[in-house]
Amino acid sequence: MIEYIIKLKRKTRNILQDDWVWKMAWRDARHNFSRLFLFVASLITGIAAVVSLDSLNNSLQQDIDRNAKELLGADMVINGNRKFEPELEVLFDSLKHPQANEADMASMVLFKQSGQSRLIRLVALEGDFPFYGAIETLPANAYSLMREQGYALLDETLASQYEVSSGDTIKVGNSFFEVAGVVTKIPGGGGILSTFRPSVYIAMSQLDSTGLVQFGSRVNYRKYLKTESDAETEALEKAIRPEVRKLGHGYDTVQERKEELGEAFQSVYRFFSLLAFLALILGCIGVASSVHIYAREKRDEVAVLRCVGSSGWQAFNIYFIQIFLLGIVGSVVGAALGLGIQQLIPVVFKDMLPVEVSFTVSWVSFAMGVVIGTVVSVLFSMLPLMAVRFVPPLTVLRADFEPARIFSKARLAVVVLIVLFPMFFAALQTRSVWIGLAFFGGLAVALGLLTLVAVLLLFLVRKYFPANASFIWRHALSNLYRPNNQTRMLMVAIGLGAFIITTLNVVEKSLLSQVEFSGQENQSNTILFDIQPSQKDGVVKLMEENNLPVNQVVPIITCRLSELKGKSVEEVQKDTTDRVPNWALTREYRVTYRDSLHLSEELIRGELQKKTSGPDSVWVTISEGLHEELDVKEGDSLVFDVQGIPVKVRISGIRKVEWPKDPPNFIFVFPTGVLEQAPQVYVTATRVDDQQIANKFQRELIMSYPNVSLIDLRLILSTVNDLFNKLGSVIRFLALFSIITGLVVLSGAVINSKFVRMKENVLLRTIGARTRQITRITLIEYAYLGIFSALTGMILSIGGGYLLTTFFFKIQFAFDALELVTITLGVVLLTMFIGWWNSREVIATPPLQVLRKEG
Amino acid sequence: MSQHVLQAEALTKTYRSGSGSLTVLDNVSFSVRQGNTISIVGPSGSGKTTLLGLCAGLDVPTSGVISLMGFKLNAMSEDDRAYIRNQYVGFVFQNFQLLPTLTALENVMVPLELRGEKHVRNKAKELLERVGLGNRVDHYPSQLSGGEQQRVAMARAFITDPKILFADEPTGNLDDENASHVTELLFSLNKQQGTTLVLVTHNLELARKTERILRMKGGKLMEEELVGA
Repeated sequence: MIEYIIKLKRKTRNILQDDWVWKMAWRDARHNFSRLFLFVASLITGIAAVVSLDSLNNSLQQDIDRNAKELLGADMVINGNRKFEPELEVLFDSLKHPQANEADMASMVLFKQSGQSRLIRLVALEGDFPFYGAIETLPANAYSLMREQGYALLDETLASQYEVSSGDTIKVGNSFFEVAGVVTKIPGGGGILSTFRPSVYIAMSQLDSTGLVQFGSRVNYRKYLKTESDAETEALEKAIRPEVRKLGHGYDTVQERKEELGEAFQSVYRFFSLLAFLALILGCIGVASSVHIYAREKRDEVAVLRCVGSSGWQAFNIYFIQIFLLGIVGSVVGAALGLGIQQLIPVVFKDMLPVEVSFTVSWVSFAMGVVIGTVVSVLFSMLPLMAVRFVPPLTVLRADFEPARIFSKARLAVVVLIVLFPMFFAALQTRSVWIGLAFFGGLAVALGLLTLVAVLLLFLVRKYFPANASFIWRHALSNLYRPNNQTRMLMVAIGLGAFIITTLNVVEKSLLSQVEFSGQENQSNTILFDIQPSQKDGVVKLMEENNLPVNQVVPIITCRLSELKGKSVEEVQKDTTDRVPNWALTREYRVTYRDSLHLSEELIRGELQKKTSGPDSVWVTISEGLHEELDVKEGDSLVFDVQGIPVKVRISGIRKVEWPKDPPNFIFVFPTGVLEQAPQVYVTATRVDDQQIANKFQRELIMSYPNVSLIDLRLILSTVNDLFNKLGSVIRFLALFSIITGLVVLSGAVINSKFVRMKENVLLRTIGARTRQITRITLIEYAYLGIFSALTGMILSIGGGYLLTTFFFKIQFAFDALELVTITLGVVLLTMFIGWWNSREVIATPPLQVLRKEG
Repeated sequence: MSQHVLQAEALTKTYRSGSGSLTVLDNVSFSVRQGNTISIVGPSGSGKTTLLGLCAGLDVPTSGVISLMGFKLNAMSEDDRAYIRNQYVGFVFQNFQLLPTLTALENVMVPLELRGEKHVRNKAKELLERVGLGNRVDHYPSQLSGGEQQRVAMARAFITDPKILFADEPTGNLDDENASHVTELLFSLNKQQGTTLVLVTHNLELARKTERILRMKGGKLMEEELVGA
C-alpha cells in the first residue's frame, strides 16, 4: 500500500509580481507582432470611427453653444407670414428694446449683364440687424451702401454662380438695383439654405418700389428684438407670448434655436452613432476572432509551457499582457486616426452645417476612445484567451487531444460582460438608454437571424444533400457542416457586413427617391406662381409662344381655419387635451378647386365629390398626413376664413398625395362652384428641356410679368443631388469604417478556418487531387457561404431600411433592386476572393511539409 | 534501499467516445526507484504513451493511483501537478517541443525562470556547451537541425536537475548518427545527475540500455524484463 505523506505548498504570484510572465510576453511577441495584425486592425478601425464621430459631435455642440446668439442675430425673433397686425405693432412700439425688421419673399431676379434669371429669396432689412455677430460683406462697406444708398447685396454662392460683381445691375420686380457686393456671412443664414434658395438683400425702404408685395404674394415678416439679459428675454417672452400666439405668429429665442439645432443635429448624430456602433461591434467581433486565431496558434506552445511547470493562469497572463499592451497602442492609434479623420470631414461637411465649425480636437473623445478600445481589447479577447488556461499538457504527446469542457466562473462573468457591453456602449453613444436598447435590440435580432439562417442552412444541406452531384460540389457543400466548420461564424460576419452595406444603400435610395421627380417624362419641371388673374392669359400665351406645354393652370385661394369640428381655433388652442399642433391651426392654407384627381393623387378613403343640399353642402378632400395632424375624418366639419368670408365645409375624402410628382399639389381641394368668385392667383406648370429656351422664356417672363415667380425644379434637383452626393460621401466615408472592419472580420474568420482546411487539403493532395480541383472546392465553398449570408443580409436590410426610413427619417421607403443584387454579388465575389486569398498558402503548401508537422 | 520515485497502482484509463467507451490502459501497476532507468515498449496503440502521460502528471487516470516523489497526483489540480513537474520532472519528446519564439538559450532557461530563480543564464549556457551547442545559444529552433533541437530539449530537461526524466521516443525523429549522439548524451547526463529515467520507445536496442523493460500490449502490462539479468 502506498503512503502519501507530503503536502504541497505552492507559492502563487499575481501578474504584477511574476517577472517571468512579462519576460515571456516580450520574448514571445518580439517576432510575432504581425500575427496580431488583424487584432490591431479591427481595434483601430472601430475606435477611429467612434472617436471621429464623437469628437465631431463635441466640437459641433461647443460651436453651437458658443455661437448661439449669432445664429439668431438677436435675443428674440417674432415671425409671421403676413404683416403684423396693428395691435401687435402697438405692442412692439411700447417696448423699449432695440428692434429691427426683416421681410423676405420668393422672387425672380434678372442679371442684366448676362440676361440670366433665377428664383431667389428677396430679403428686405431695416434697423440695426444683427444685434449679435455681423453681416460680413465684400467689399466691407457694402452693407452700409445697401442700407443707406439703395444698393443690393447678393449671397456669395449666387454671385459666383452667375458671375455677378460689384457695380453690376440686377432687376427685382419693377426695380433695378446696383450690386454693392456679396454677403459672405450673415447670422442665421448661409449654410444649406443659401444653396437651395440664395438671397438678394435690399433695404426695407426699397421693397414697395419693387411692386412685389401685392395680393397673393407670400411674404414672411420678422421682428428682431434685443434684450440686456436672459431674465429680460424671459420677461419679454411672457409679455408678448399671448398676443403673438393668439394671432397665429411664431417666436424664437436663442435658447429655443439652440435646442432646435441641437435636436436636429442629434438625429444626424444618432444616425452616425449607429454607424460607429456597428463599426465598433464589428471591431469587437474582429478582436475576438483574431485573438481566437492567435490563441489557437499558441496552443502547442502553451502545452509545452504547461509541461515544464507553468500554471494555467501564468500561460494566460503571457498572452493577456501582449493583448492588453497592444490593445492600448491600437486604441491610441485608432483614437489619433479618428481625430485626424475628423479634421477631414469638414471638407465635405462645411456647407451643410448651420454654424462655422472650428473642429477643435476633443481630448475627451480621444480619452474615451482609448478607454473603450482598451476595454474592448480586454473584454473581447478574454473568452478566446481563457481557452489558453485549459490547454492540457497532454497535447505535447497527442496533438489531437481535446479536453472535456471545463466550467469556469470567470468565463461566465466574461460572457455576461460581453452581452452588457454593446448595450452600455449604444446607450452612451446615443445619450439615450432607449435608443441604446433599440440599437442593441436591432443588432441582437440581426445576429440572431443570421445565426438562425446559418443553422437552418446546415440542417437543409444535410437533409437535402445532392448525393448525385460531382465530387467537387459535394465536397465543397459538405465543408459547410463538417467538424470544426466556421459556417456560423462566417455567415454572421459576412451577413452583417452585407446588411450594413445594403441598408445604407436602401436608406440613400429612399432619400433620393423623394427628389427624383422631374426626370420623368411629361411631368412638369418648371412652376410659375403668383400669377394675377389679369396676367393669366398673357402668361399662358407666352408659354405657348415658346412652344412650352401648359400642364396645369390652377387657381390658388389663400384662407385660414377659423373652426375645427365645431370649436373655434382659439378654443382648440386653449384646450390642453387637444393635441392639434398650433402651426396647423394658424397657418395660411393655399387651396384650389377642381372636380377630378390630379395624376399625383389617389383617393384612399371616402368620396371625391359628395353632393348634398342645405347649409353643409360644401365637401372638400384633405391630404393624408394633415388629416392626422388636424385629427379629422370623413364627415368632420371645418370653417375656413376666405378673405373675411366664412366658408363651412365637411371632409368627404382623404387623398394620398405624391408631393414631388407633377407639382403643384394641395392639402385641401374644394369642389368647383364655391370659390370661383374669391380673390385668387394662379399657378401654372410646364416642362422645359432645353436650357436655351428656358433662359429665353425666363427673360421674357421677368420683363413682362416681374411679379411672377418661377421655380426651376431642375435647378433644385441638381442642388439636391449635389447635396445628397455630399451627404452620401460623408455617409459612405463613415460606413467605410464598418465595411473595412467587416472585411477584417471576414479575413479573420476565413483564416480561422484555414487550420481545418490545411489538413483536409493536404490529404486530398496526397491522394491525388490537383491544385485546380482544390481551388475549385475552396471557391465553391466560399461562394455558398457568400451567397447565403449576403442574401440574408440583403433581406434583413430591406426590413431594416423600411424601419429606418419609416420611423427614423419619416420618408417613403424605396429601393433599387438592381443595385441590391449588384451589392449582393459584390459581397459574394469578395467572400470568394478573400477565401481564396487566405487559402493560397493551404493550396500551395507541399503535402509532406504538413504531414511532417502533423506527425 | 532507495525510495520509490514513481509508483503506479492499478492504473486504468478509459476514454468515452459517443455512446461507448475505450479502455486504453487496463489495471497497470509498477514502481521505479530513485536513479533507476526503465523503458516501456510495445506496439502502437498498446498504451505506452498514455502510461507515460499519466506517470508524468500530464493527465489523470480514470481509476488507480499515481505517486510521484511521494505526491499523489490524482488528487491534485492541474496547476499543482504543473508545479510538481517544474520541481522534479524533466521531459524529452520525439518532436522536441521547443518554443519556436524563444532562442535555444531562452528555451533552456524557461524551467528555472518559472521557479522564480534569477541569474540562470550561465547555468543554461554551461548546459548548452555540454550538449555541444555553445555556439548556437542565440539561434531559434527553426535555425537548428533536428539533432540540435533535441540536444537543446535535453539541456532544458536537465537544467532543473530533475529527479525523474520522461523521454518519449527521444530518437524517433532523428537519423542514426544524431540518434546515437542523443542517446549517448541522455544516458551520460542521466548518470552524472543521478536522474531516474523513464523511456518510451519502439526501439528495442535503445530500450536495452535501460535497467528494466516493461512490455505493454492492448493496454495491459504483459511482462517485465530485467536487462542483463
